[in-house]
Amino acid sequence: QDTITGTVSDVNGNPIPFVNILLIGTSTGTITNDDGYFSISVPSRTGELEFSALGYTTQVLKINNQKNISIALTEATEILEEVVLTALGLKRETKELGYVVQSLDTEGITEVKSVNFLDNLSGKLAGVTINQGATGVGSSSKITIRGEASFSNNNPLFVVDGVPINNASIFNFTNEAAAGFQEIDFGNGAMEVNPDDIAEVSVLKGPSAAALYGTRASNGVIIIETKTGKNTKGLGISYNTSFFMDTAFQLPDFQNEYGQGNSGAFAFVDGLGGGTNDLITYSWGPRLDVGNLVPQFDGPVTLADGSTVRGGDTSLYNGNTITPTEFRSYKDNLKDFYRTGTTFINNISVASGFDKGNYRLSFTDMRSESIIPGVNLDRQTIGTRLNFQPIDKLAINSSISYINSKSDNRPSNGYGSENVNYSLVAWGPRSLNINNLKDYWQPGLEGVQQYSFNYTYFDNPYFILYENRNSFNRDRIFGNISASYDITDNITASIRTGMDYSSELRQLRRAYSSNRFKNGGYAEHDVFFREINSDFLLNYTNRFNDVSVDVSLGGNRLDQQAFTSQSQTTSLAQPGIFRLSNAASPIEVFEYESNKRINSLYGLVKFGYKNYLYLDITGRNDWSSALATPFSVENTSFFYPSVSSSFILSEVIDLPESISFAKLRASLAQVGNDTNPYQTSSTFIAQTPFNGQPTFSNTDIIANPNLQPERTSSFEVGADIRLFRDQLHFDISYYNALTKDQIIALPIGISSGYTQQVVNGGEVRSKGLEVILGISPIVSENFSWNSTVNFSINRSTVESLPQEDGRLTLAYSRIYDSQNQTVFFQVEEGGRIGDMYGTGYLRNENGDFILTDEGRYIPNNDLQKLGNYNPDFMVGFNNRFNYKNWNLGFLLDWRQGGILVSRTKALGNVGGQLAETAFRPESGIVPEGVVNTGTEESSVYVPNTIAVSAESYYRQFYDRNHEENNTYDASFLKLRQLAIGYTFNNLNLFNTDATLNLSLIGKNLFAITENPHFDPEQLAVQGNGFISGVEDMSYATSRSIGCKASFNF
Amino acid sequence: CTRDFEEINTNTNAPVTVQPSLLLRQVIYDYGEQMSYEGFTAGNLLGQYSTALDFNLFDRHDLKSPQLGGNPWPILYQNLRDNEILLNLSQENTAFAVYEGPARILKAYMAAALTDLYGDVPYSEAFKGNAETVTPAYDSQEAIYLDNGGILNNLELGITALENYTGTIGLEGDILYEGDLSGWIRFANSLKIKYLMRISAKVDVAPQLQSIFNEDNYIGTNMQNAIFNFTDGEPNNFRLARLRIGDFNNYVLSETMEDILKALNDPRIERLYRPIGNAGDNNFKGLLNGIDASTGVSVADYSLLGTIFRENTGLLDANFMTSMETHFLLAEAALKGYISGNTESLYQMGISQAFEYWQVPLPENYIMNNAALEDGMELENIITQKWIANTINGYDGWIEYRRTGFPQLRTISASLNNNIIPVRMPYPAEEEALNSNNYAEAANKTDGNSINVPVWWDE
Repeated sequence: QDTITGTVSDVNGNPIPFVNILLIGTSTGTITNDDGYFSISVPSRTGELEFSALGYTTQVLKINNQKNISIALTEATEILEEVVLTALGLKRETKELGYVVQSLDTEGITEVKSVNFLDNLSGKLAGVTINQGATGVGSSSKITIRGEASFSNNNPLFVVDGVPINNASIFNFTNEAAAGFQEIDFGNGAMEVNPDDIAEVSVLKGPSAAALYGTRASNGVIIIETKTGKNTKGLGISYNTSFFMDTAFQLPDFQNEYGQGNSGAFAFVDGLGGGTNDLITYSWGPRLDVGNLVPQFDGPVTLADGSTVRGGDTSLYNGNTITPTEFRSYKDNLKDFYRTGTTFINNISVASGFDKGNYRLSFTDMRSESIIPGVNLDRQTIGTRLNFQPIDKLAINSSISYINSKSDNRPSNGYGSENVNYSLVAWGPRSLNINNLKDYWQPGLEGVQQYSFNYTYFDNPYFILYENRNSFNRDRIFGNISASYDITDNITASIRTGMDYSSELRQLRRAYSSNRFKNGGYAEHDVFFREINSDFLLNYTNRFNDVSVDVSLGGNRLDQQAFTSQSQTTSLAQPGIFRLSNAASPIEVFEYESNKRINSLYGLVKFGYKNYLYLDITGRNDWSSALATPFSVENTSFFYPSVSSSFILSEVIDLPESISFAKLRASLAQVGNDTNPYQTSSTFIAQTPFNGQPTFSNTDIIANPNLQPERTSSFEVGADIRLFRDQLHFDISYYNALTKDQIIALPIGISSGYTQQVVNGGEVRSKGLEVILGISPIVSENFSWNSTVNFSINRSTVESLPQEDGRLTLAYSRIYDSQNQTVFFQVEEGGRIGDMYGTGYLRNENGDFILTDEGRYIPNNDLQKLGNYNPDFMVGFNNRFNYKNWNLGFLLDWRQGGILVSRTKALGNVGGQLAETAFRPESGIVPEGVVNTGTEESSVYVPNTIAVSAESYYRQFYDRNHEENNTYDASFLKLRQLAIGYTFNNLNLFNTDATLNLSLIGKNLFAITENPHFDPEQLAVQGNGFISGVEDMSYATSRSIGCKASFNF
Repeated sequence: CTRDFEEINTNTNAPVTVQPSLLLRQVIYDYGEQMSYEGFTAGNLLGQYSTALDFNLFDRHDLKSPQLGGNPWPILYQNLRDNEILLNLSQENTAFAVYEGPARILKAYMAAALTDLYGDVPYSEAFKGNAETVTPAYDSQEAIYLDNGGILNNLELGITALENYTGTIGLEGDILYEGDLSGWIRFANSLKIKYLMRISAKVDVAPQLQSIFNEDNYIGTNMQNAIFNFTDGEPNNFRLARLRIGDFNNYVLSETMEDILKALNDPRIERLYRPIGNAGDNNFKGLLNGIDASTGVSVADYSLLGTIFRENTGLLDANFMTSMETHFLLAEAALKGYISGNTESLYQMGISQAFEYWQVPLPENYIMNNAALEDGMELENIITQKWIANTINGYDGWIEYRRTGFPQLRTISASLNNNIIPVRMPYPAEEEALNSNNYAEAANKTDGNSINVPVWWDE
């Protein structure tokens, strides 16, 4: 017996693991390890070795008495991902898996970097939906995998280097009614994952893949593996820099014919109703650009001493005559308001391998100025990874990231005077010269009284953004340390502990004269989160002839503590001093702490038969404290199993030569899901004190001491077929999952004294199809073209509800606390999650509007289905071309179907601001519809001929009380990314072989969509959660153009 | 594996039980705060004290489209719930027995507010969702008023509980009477007068009224009023002081109120409203309720509401029950022969107390001339004076208009209810969705939840 050793690498010298090596004509074989190293025992040093690996061209080499053989394999195509990360941090060959795992490599993520990590995934993964938040850079993005199947929680789990991290968005405490602080989005937790530190992202989409991650994995798992220094020879230094310029992506299409006013008349006196229609800022006023002279807020006022002030400087100079100025349009006033944003991202990293391990250190500096004036986001990230093998059998690993994020201002969300779109879009008159608002204090009253175009409902937008700031500063550390020890050749034991810790201070400042805070206001909001996961894992592997066995047993303890405390005053003693000690009214405190522990034990058994049949069996038991009551732990334990199998057809049957690989897979799995803490017992909550004396009220939610865990059972089948030497890669999955015993705060009538009751119930069936098509039509030495098409379709249908009849309200989005201004997200049996309901106007059986004999619509206050916000299907089309040193990539994202309810459409048209309202004939408008000339019993409908004034018509048609006329088709096709780059190889810099890549990059370049006013990707905020399907006075999103340079030494 | 779970899942943020004083203070303050706001933003529109210039579907009698205010249903049920917990505590624990009387009186008070607005409502099975059903059946208004456990019965039991209380543990959290139990008894007797008058078209109330009148233990002076004071500063100021100026400036004097106050040459107009912005001097102008907002009217041409509702809310009270109202009710009772009292002197007492309540000096000849009882119009005189006095007192002006027809409200300018003044509030849509079977029955009895079907005492 002789031994042959060697290494297998790719053409660039990077080692290739899992290369199958076979002595031809025998069954003797081995595989390479992580470092591409192999060792094989042969009878003699003759014969031929076959080296084969997925994604590489198989090669045969004569041994020729060599003792040491090193070989470089050429890549068959770039698209294949041979080894992927799966649950418990296990790297597995895709061929073994009985479920689909899709992954992205460094390049796929960082070619075009976004400030929010989630946005880097958009369009690149089948079945994964990302929606960007509405408040510019620093907003949360929402991610769902395979649609929404739970009534209450559809967030996937994020795992970095084996340990979960938090992806929550924690909002400030708000006041309902049109007073106090509005909601502010301070970003989602996973946005802080640094793309420059990522080696690979894998998405486990279904419960099968995720079963081992436990209760939080029922909505899928995003597994992130950070870069190591493993394959670096010598000292590897890389530096990359990106610069983006952002402009407003899509602004509303305004009318520019009519200016501020009502019924065609306007004159500014005090912006409080003292003039002609200067109470509110409708654009139903006089014609613009026809030479009309009108007293305006920015018109000059000559004082007795000959000096001049502005018309809107009313606090000290009221009652003076404002010299009328030309009433003209400012077509670009909103465009002028948004500035050019900039984002700089600089990353430097040092990595190296040494004889007993490897390390990597990286520092990233991100500075972003939003297109929204005064809004920014700065983030510094330090990432470290260390692998240390003091002795052969022991490996110690650590991965730690420290992140500091901060912003001087995060703008407010939703409908209300704290959102600048309230005064700029919905109620921003077309005669408004926004540039004249920049000097936003009244002279002599700096810091005390703002200057604006209206003082009744609206704040000067510059005043809001520069004075009423919502800043934050967040420190965060996540990471883990682990050790693994090879007890024998077959048994490995490992332990690990990881933490995600964040501590954040938010400061909400409100200046004197704010509409909602006459005497200013201030709030400090502390947000603290800590989760510690400690686990152990025992692993046993062996091979018995044709059968390989791999057994893992593990346990985990999760301890989670969240604390948030907002202390606020709604009036300040001294203007401009934002301290709680400057409070002029009692300080209110809102606090909430929650604690949770989950203990788990789990096991995984993997069988492999020859090289074509694989079987995984898993089981996990969780014990969750959230299901305990203060007196009982009876319902806290729940067990769930999974089984999955993969069968590689191409290894068993002789298939036509064009089929290079064919695999079938199937899996069955169950996942349990617990709930948030404290759903099992009711409490009393402190309310507004009276004369400093406390008051308490019962919570409006009826707790449930008998809560059971939610259960999702799923079934998935799929096939992975590769044709023409892997130039065509076709992967299809079908899944069918049933989620039952959902834990939900069921709305109940307040006549019961309560508004919600925590119950188990309801079943949702979620079915879908995902197709990933990888095409490499041209692969040659100088030119290659690779593209991936991701297609997905999902339907989540409600099979039963937790109540007897009617519809279940899952969420709502409202303007004011009024039934009629509310979009209800309701489901009924047979309905789909994502169905939206609202009110409209009365129609006859033909669908025509029924009008009164005065030509008016008749409100129909019965809720009707407006549509569903989910797309019918989604397609992502990602392309990459390489020609010599040039590369070109682009990503198209197409979402077809679904609707959006638009508040901009409703309010901008009621206000007479949008282009739809430009047509205003003197003779009025004849509303389309019919009039009943018969009786109520036997109706005779004839077309309406009565005209109403244009103003009346638009104000009624688009009335915010009736959502029916204020929807858009949400379909869009977007050019999400475009990048062109050139690589300089072998630069002789500092005596090293350096490479330099330069790229020009574009993001969000254009979209084809039905609505003319805003980016069709929208996410609204209501209460403490995100709402899809509603555009709620959103800020413009941005179109970015930039460049990137990467050096590698 | 479940060690410490009970402790971990025990909510440390908030108590599981509370002291009754915290609930009592909560119920009184929350009800008073919210219903005064309702009174300003919605009750005042239905009662035609003031009118809204824009965002005014409610003012145009589309009562299913409230905006700022106009949905009192949850306010009433939430407070009835907290009050029910208070009542239970008072009965379960002898140490809390002193709270039984106030809890029963408040229950009667809020139940009456509820049924007078909506008619038949969930009551005997209601606001006990944590112990009983979450889909409570509707009770008839007649039963709510007259049955055991109903309004009159609870007032009776409340008085008895207070009179029989011999403990030394005081009533805390009482922001109406500072723990003075006799104040509560007077409050309860005034409420009995009010509710007996309200059902007087259906039930022979004379004997009971006469006996209460004879006993003379009702609210007799402004000092004895069931009120609490708003403050000038936050957080206990009147809510309109906290809202944006635009929300306040959306409301102006109604033509109905303008005409009545001007005809009486009533100086309270200067307390309750402001002179027109532009015109200067003491020029007050009102607008007919329910305009079509798209026709465009200028707020500068009409009188805004007075500074007592925004700048000086320290002068304003949350009004539960007053001496003035009691005297107007007794004047009506005497007029109708239910009691053997002197209508005119009761009426005059009501007026002078109303001026005192609103902190306006009573002009010398006001009682004898301007507001003197007129032959054949006494009822209109009495109710009109009570109507003026009850500004922002919930929906009371409108409720009493429905009962008596006074003051004569106007046909509004752009009605969305076929020019009919509504006679009940519609059940909110959430009842239809969440308590559907019981709602269906109630809707059936109200012509499909029509706002034009009178409640039992108004039939």
